Amino acid sequence: MSGAVDFISKPFMAIPEDKRKALGLILVAIILLLFPLLHDNDADIDTAANALSYATLALGLNIVVGFAGLLDLGYAAFFAIGAYYYGIFTSFQVMPLWSGVWSPFAAIGLVEKINQGGPDLVHFTLSFWIALPTAALVSAFFGVLFGAPTLRLRGDYLAIVTLGFGEIVPIVARNLDSVTNGAAGLNGIQAPKLFGYNFGISAFPYYYVGLGLVALLIFVSIRLRDSRIGRAWMAIREDETAASAMGINLVRFKLMAFAIGAAFAGMTGVYFVAKLQTATPDMFSFNVSSMLLVMVVLGGMGSVWGVVVGALMLQLLQTWFLPQLSEWLHALGDVLGNDWLRTVDMVQWTQLLFGIILIFMMLFRREGLIPATRKVPALTFQAQHAEVTRGGFANLENIPRWQKEGGKGLEIRGVTVKFGGLVALNGIDLTVPEGGVVAVIGPNGSGKSTLFNVITGLVHSDAGSIKFNGVELLGLQPHQVLEHGVARTFQNIRLFPNLTVLENVLIGQHARLTTGPIGAVLHTPHNVAEEKAALDWVSNIIAMFSNRLAPRVAQAVGGLSYANRRRVEIARALASRPKILLLDEPTAGMNPAETLELAEQIKSLHTLGLTILIIEHKLDVVTKLADTVVVLDHGDKIAEGLPDEVRRNEQVLTAYLGRAARAAVMESANGN
Amino acid sequence: MISRRTTFKAAAGVAAAATLGSQQALAADKVLRIGIDLSFTGADAESAARVAGGGVLAFEEANERHEVKGYSFEVVKLDDATATAGQYDPAQAATNARKFVSDKSFVAALGPQMSGAGKAMAPILSQGGLATITPSSTNPDITNPKFAAQYMPAGKAIYFRTVATDAYQGPNMANYMADTLKVKSIFVLDDSGAYGVGLADAFQAQAEKKGIKVMGRDRLDPKATDYAAILTKIKALGPDALYYGGVGQAGVKLFKQSYDIMPTMIKAGGDGIYGSDMLKGAGFPACEGWYATNAAPHVTEDPKTAKFSEAFHKRFNQFPEDYSATCYVGAQVIIAAVKQIVAAGKEPTRDAVRDAIGGINLKDSLIGPVAFDEYGDVKNKIISVFQIKQNKAKPLDDPDSQFKYIGIAPQA
Amino acid sequence: MTSGDLLLQQAINGLSLGSIYALLALGFTLVYGIMELINFSHFNVFMVGSMFAMLILQALGVVGQETVMSGVPLIAILVFTLAVTMLLCGALGVSIERFLLRPLRGIKGPAAMITTIGVSYVLFNLVLLTLGTDAKNFPNPLPPIVWQIGGATLRLREVLIWVIAILLMGGLTYFVQYTKIGRAMRATAQDPDAARMMGVEVDRVVMMSFFISSALAGASGMIFGLYYNLAKVDIGFAAGLRAFTAAVLGGIGNVPGAMIGGVIIGLVEAMSGQVVGTAWTDVVIFSLLVLVLVFRPAGLLGRLAPNKS
Repeated sequence: MSGAVDFISKPFMAIPEDKRKALGLILVAIILLLFPLLHDNDADIDTAANALSYATLALGLNIVVGFAGLLDLGYAAFFAIGAYYYGIFTSFQVMPLWSGVWSPFAAIGLVEKINQGGPDLVHFTLSFWIALPTAALVSAFFGVLFGAPTLRLRGDYLAIVTLGFGEIVPIVARNLDSVTNGAAGLNGIQAPKLFGYNFGISAFPYYYVGLGLVALLIFVSIRLRDSRIGRAWMAIREDETAASAMGINLVRFKLMAFAIGAAFAGMTGVYFVAKLQTATPDMFSFNVSSMLLVMVVLGGMGSVWGVVVGALMLQLLQTWFLPQLSEWLHALGDVLGNDWLRTVDMVQWTQLLFGIILIFMMLFRREGLIPATRKVPALTFQAQHAEVTRGGFANLENIPRWQKEGGKGLEIRGVTVKFGGLVALNGIDLTVPEGGVVAVIGPNGSGKSTLFNVITGLVHSDAGSIKFNGVELLGLQPHQVLEHGVARTFQNIRLFPNLTVLENVLIGQHARLTTGPIGAVLHTPHNVAEEKAALDWVSNIIAMFSNRLAPRVAQAVGGLSYANRRRVEIARALASRPKILLLDEPTAGMNPAETLELAEQIKSLHTLGLTILIIEHKLDVVTKLADTVVVLDHGDKIAEGLPDEVRRNEQVLTAYLGRAARAAVMESANGN
Repeated sequence: MISRRTTFKAAAGVAAAATLGSQQALAADKVLRIGIDLSFTGADAESAARVAGGGVLAFEEANERHEVKGYSFEVVKLDDATATAGQYDPAQAATNARKFVSDKSFVAALGPQMSGAGKAMAPILSQGGLATITPSSTNPDITNPKFAAQYMPAGKAIYFRTVATDAYQGPNMANYMADTLKVKSIFVLDDSGAYGVGLADAFQAQAEKKGIKVMGRDRLDPKATDYAAILTKIKALGPDALYYGGVGQAGVKLFKQSYDIMPTMIKAGGDGIYGSDMLKGAGFPACEGWYATNAAPHVTEDPKTAKFSEAFHKRFNQFPEDYSATCYVGAQVIIAAVKQIVAAGKEPTRDAVRDAIGGINLKDSLIGPVAFDEYGDVKNKIISVFQIKQNKAKPLDDPDSQFKYIGIAPQA
Repeated sequence: MTSGDLLLQQAINGLSLGSIYALLALGFTLVYGIMELINFSHFNVFMVGSMFAMLILQALGVVGQETVMSGVPLIAILVFTLAVTMLLCGALGVSIERFLLRPLRGIKGPAAMITTIGVSYVLFNLVLLTLGTDAKNFPNPLPPIVWQIGGATLRLREVLIWVIAILLMGGLTYFVQYTKIGRAMRATAQDPDAARMMGVEVDRVVMMSFFISSALAGASGMIFGLYYNLAKVDIGFAAGLRAFTAAVLGGIGNVPGAMIGGVIIGLVEAMSGQVVGTAWTDVVIFSLLVLVLVFRPAGLLGRLAPNKS
């Protein structure tokens, strides 16, 4: 037995991994293509075709929930929209009076003239092949329509609002009789035709269309996932604030996820009702949305192959395993003489099992059966034990110097921020000249991080002006601020924990890339060139940290050490090719050796000509780096000057250390 | 909801087939499969079980007597109700129709119970050439030649009925209410289903013709719980009577809440509210006084049919309702058609069975003479009127004893 | 009936519905206020409560509409059923929290919310498999006492529902305002970290909020049954969504807001049945939900839940 397994598996394992995968994929594809020919049972093929339509729906929901992290509980609404779109334009429900206007449409086969015993009527006969792509557009439109008002909401509110929309669509379908024929649904929906061949009621042509649809949507999903767009979605899922600070337009990309997810569902709707030839409101209830959620959760949120496997597994569970199990139980019941076992129908338990699956997966395996992030092999001892390097960044030969553009740098004038009654910043003036390094210091709660937040658009200002190279930043969205060349890090590190180091840093490039969804899917030359350039640039950035980050590029950042996460955050900011870098306590939590290393690295950035605004507690770092030091206390600027001047400033010492300590410091300073 | 149901039905079908199979006498017999599609779960489940019983009984009897030489019948039951819908679901009915059609061993079918299901099934059955005989679905559109392109795209009649349609059920009841109950004004409700809307439309049209003032028309969402708002509105309008076109899911709630809000108003409905589901769900006193109709002659109390009732009771341990009889007769029609074909020395294929059913003429069935017009409607159309009157001596959920037969509604 | 009477009658209908929704909305609000969690299992704890109440009444010999009682026995049987239903549902809620949600506390993302969806599914299907889908004839022991107010009718059961709802809401308000654990709950809702540092046992507070909210759902389920004389496995979804809308409308996390929101939603439902048609009621209510969330996410009375970033 094991010999036979070895016989097959050994040569297979000998093939290199990427080829093995491709080979496996081809084998699966061949089996799927041959299935209807080998298994001549129309009912089973029909079931398989249904399973495929679930896989397409799960792929669509995965874009919204898995990639972009938007919990959509009303996804079936878009399925319904696609279904009714095709249903209305091919059934006998909406039939306006015939007139000459319709003749050209009749000539191209979109309508036909029929008579039901009154005046001549128009019967719509929209072609399935036209309906498929147009349904994607129609559903995408509704995706944007439903998404627009709701996407500003927090995640949990979004869930309930989408649930509401998911309910409204079937109710509207139930009540707009004249268009949808109410609860009775649309009957007599036209089957697809291809070159004169009518699909009719035989299952196997539908099976192949479904297979094609799944293949297409897997392809689109993977292409999108591995593009700038997929990275943006995942960044939004992981941390919205950081995503927007990294230049991602939240509204735009959330809407895009909604629209593309909806488009998948719309196409599936057309496919599904063309096969069933009926569309009723009950086909699109909350149960469908939640069953799709179970599929996505089971397979792995964000995992393309995972959700397909999840969908097919649940279908297998319902259509094969549970009926089989019922029969076994019936047989057992006959043997034991137990009436309950004899009559139990396990298929009725399906939804109960769905509930249990949801709970079980959440408690024990949140990443799903096939997680989206793969495990990477552990690092070697050498790779893990990086030596502290001195003398600034390494491998700078590939990093171009920042050229002076003669801009005015960052000019902050009279900026005031209030939280309720609390004044967080009070009329702050601050200038960072081009190529300069300015440090902001101050005790906790003095308004330092608020200053960064107001510059980067995360916090609204009540008064004042912030100009960067002459452009007003106040009033801009965070992503627009980044587009102007202002990149930042966060005091409490805001990375995208489930993404790899490489992906995190690549997201920094987001605003510098332009590929849209179509380019990403088609791999246009522009897209390919752009991605390659981005990857090169990001590799150069990562190389600057020598062996701190390079061995770990494929690791999820959530598992990195604190200091390395700080480094990734700096690398991510640098990847956006900033003109000014805002560092919020970059050395916090580092030991003295690491602090020194990082300080020298920041210094080397300065040497390259980068403008830097830094918040720092450690005065030795500040002294080493900064041209100018600005001191904040309780929202007021209490001092500004050279590091050494500020160090001796009485007010500063009071603010920092309190009166008694100040006296001691002053004494020792005088002693020097 | 896509194929979970599919399989559930398939499993149920296998189970049903297995039990019947064990009773078959001759192993050499060729097996002809007959599909039965009814709403076996959900709001109309009780009724479905009784209706199906009629068909099952007829085929079992035929198998026992070796009615057709060389052939025996095997019944496969599929359920067109879903948990999502809580009652029949047209999408599920369409899926079931595909199941029947895709398996060549099916030569005919019985069902469906509900017109909404029938509308979804008819186009598929037509393309597959599989004849079905419905024991209870009454919406006239399906057999209306006006809608032939929609419901019989393949051209030939495939949807036969052993009941009359709502083109008679609604109007005849309107006649009864105008002539006998002397109703002058009415409010009409439907449950938004194909059957309910069609019945209410037909009723309303005839009521207007008879000079009954229709004070309003509204629609109940069968899944909503609260109808107090609309009933309060109706009470304020103060019509003589309320007519409800619809089935049990909304019906149970309507019975209860209309009893609370307007206990004394005359209330009536069609065959959708005839059955034990209503008696069980709504109970007395809420049910008391409601009028209901059946689109078939009332036979279960008829001494001529006592033998059928006894056999039915012996087999299923419950008494038949009138649609058990129409289903039984539907099965007899199929058996007679097959017998005719086999007697002529031909193969009982789907097409042959369909054509033979069209030409069947049963002189004296449980429900009187049975023959079909060219679209599949039964020629002899009778609407029976009932009123719910509590009979404490009998089980309170037994429709036979709680629905009191009043007579035949006057033909429109 | 004059139009004034009609308005009065619809107001009576709306208040009864509103009482049911308000009790249910309180549960959403309590749990959300403390845990920032939309508890989807609440939908079907309510449904299970209605089934519990039905089974208890039937076990006590009250079956269908035939058993009419009055006086002390009626009050005793109602109080007993209410108390046991609330206890059972409370225990159900506490077990959901303890065994299924506590392990997920502190985990970012929608894990806890998805779990509650799973729990909701499980509860629904357990009832479906054991009791079936058909509409149950909920026992009604109330005497058919009716008062006429002009042309409008006020029935004993409506008054009873109002009384139960008002007593429970009053009790809850007292509990939250004046007891030690109530204060701890409010403190946790304001700032869980600070509350923990001040010695509040957060586990206990969370468990208590689940107990109370589930017990209120049970009470709501029972009065739902008494009002409609109906129990059905699918009542949780529609009622739950309306109650959630009520909680959002009043300002989620806000106890008086939930009560007011519940009554408003009840009235909206009654009036939309009168004006637009019953079939559109859901659309009216969900549109209201979306509008409130989009334009006034803090609700009418403002949100008292913490502003965690």
